[in-house]
Amino acid sequence: MSELQRLREAFRTALDLPAEAPVDDLRYQDNEKWDSLAHMSLVAAIEDEFSVMIDTDDVINMSSFDEAVRILGKYGVNVNE
Amino acid sequence: MNLLHPGARVIDAVTGETLTEETVAAAEATLAAEPGGVVFLPIETTIPSIARYLAAFRLGRPVVLLDPEKDHAELIERFSATEVHPDLALLLTTSGSTGNPKLVRLSADAVRTNAEQIAEVLDITAGEVAVTTLPLFYSYGMSVLNSHLIRGATVVLERTGIMQRDFWTAVNEHGVTSMAFVPSQYEMLRRLRFDPAKYPTLRSLTQAGGRLRTDLVTDFAQRMATVGGKLYVMYGQTEAAPRMATLPPERLDEKLGSVGRALPGGTFTIEDDEVVYRGPNVMMGYADTAADLALGDVQGGALRTGDLGRVDDEGFLFITGRIKRMGKVFGVRINLDDVEKNFPVAAVAGDDKLVVFAEGVSDDEARGLRTKIAEWLGTHFSGVVVSSVEALPLLPNGKIDYRALESSL
Repeated sequence: MSELQRLREAFRTALDLPAEAPVDDLRYQDNEKWDSLAHMSLVAAIEDEFSVMIDTDDVINMSSFDEAVRILGKYGVNVNE
Repeated sequence: MNLLHPGARVIDAVTGETLTEETVAAAEATLAAEPGGVVFLPIETTIPSIARYLAAFRLGRPVVLLDPEKDHAELIERFSATEVHPDLALLLTTSGSTGNPKLVRLSADAVRTNAEQIAEVLDITAGEVAVTTLPLFYSYGMSVLNSHLIRGATVVLERTGIMQRDFWTAVNEHGVTSMAFVPSQYEMLRRLRFDPAKYPTLRSLTQAGGRLRTDLVTDFAQRMATVGGKLYVMYGQTEAAPRMATLPPERLDEKLGSVGRALPGGTFTIEDDEVVYRGPNVMMGYADTAADLALGDVQGGALRTGDLGRVDDEGFLFITGRIKRMGKVFGVRINLDDVEKNFPVAAVAGDDKLVVFAEGVSDDEARGLRTKIAEWLGTHFSGVVVSSVEALPLLPNGKIDYRALESSL
C-alpha cells in the first residue's frame, strides 16, 4: 500500500468512516466526526502507522488532511509520492 | 439570588465582548417581559447565554440548562410549568440515555452554597482566571463558572478545545490560572505532552467527572509540581450541585486513589456499603413531570450516591464501585441495563468507555452497532467499544458472567 493510501486508511479508521470514503478534503470540525476525541485517535493511528512521534505543536496544527501530509513530511514520510 | 460578585469578569476570548452589569440587567428586562415559569436555556459558551442564566437567577425563575446542539422539544413540553416551588433555582438533566431524562431540582441555596464551598477549598480569589473547558450545561462546567463569579474572579470564554491552537493562545493571552478537565481530557493532555511551563500564569488543574487512573493522577500532580502548581482531584454528582469532595493536593501522594474529604459543611457515611453524602448542597429531589416542579425538598439534605466506598479514619473517601450497573462515558453516567434492553449485547463499564459484547458479529456489523449505540447514547462513537465473541460466558444459573467479561478487558 502506498503512503497516501496508508494515511487515508488511518483517517478512515480514526474518524469511523466507511472504506473508500473520500478523506483528502477533510478539515478539523468541518466533518462532524472529526472532533477532539477523534483527533486523539487520529494522531495515535498516524503515529502507529508510520512509526513516528508527533510533537505537541504538530498535533495541534494538524487541522486538515493536507496539513497531515505536510507534517508527516517533516518526519521524513513522503506521502505525495 | 445573585451569583455575580461585583468584581467578577467574563470575557469572550474571540469577540472580546465582556459581561457587565448592564448586560445582565438587559437580559433581566427581556426575561421579565416573557411569560413566567420555567426558563429553558440551551446554554452556549457566550456572553448572552450567561447573561440570561444570571438574569433568571435574579428574577427567581427556575432555569433548565440544556445542550444547545440537541433537540429538547419533548423535555420542554414535559416540564413547561408556571407553578414552581419558590426555592427552586436550577434544573439539570442527568444521564440522557433513556430518552426521558429526569431533571435534578436544585435550590438557590444549594447552588450558592456549593459555589462557596468550591471557592473555599480551591482557594479561588479575585485574581483567579479560569477558561471554559467544558460545556456550561454540564454540572462541572457550570460549577467552574459559578465558583469564579461568586468570588469576583475572571472567566474566559473559549469555544475551541485543548486540541486547537486558539485555545492555548487564549490561555496565555488572558493569563489563565486554572483549568478544569474530565478524565478523557487528561488522556488527551498526556498525548499532547502537556507542559505547564509553557503557560506561566497557570497554577492549578482540577479533575472531576469520573475516576482518573491513579498513574495519571500522579503524572499530572508531578507535572504541576515542577512549576509550583497543584492538581485537585474532586468528586461530585449533579445531584449535589455538584461537588462533594476534594483531595487536598498536599495529601495526594499519601492518599492516592482517594477522591478526598467532604467539602466544608458536608459529611460522608457508608450505609450498607453505599456512600451517603449529607450537606447543604444536596438537591431538593428529582422531577419527572411539570407537577414535580412545585414540590419542596424530599431529600432532607441526604444523597445516596449509588457508589460503593469506604472512608478512612481521617475522613478520606475511596470509591470502590457502583451499586447499580452503571458506567461512565466521557464523564456522563449511563445505565448498563438500559443498553442491554435496547441492543442485543452484554454491556460492561470500561475505563471511561462503554464496552459491549455481541455474539458472532462481523467487523462491519460491529462497526454499525457501535455507531448505533453511540447515537442512542448521544455520545461520541469512540466512547463505545464493540467486541465480538463466539458465545457470551454464562454462570451456572444461566445469567451472563459479567466478571468474566470484565476480566477480559
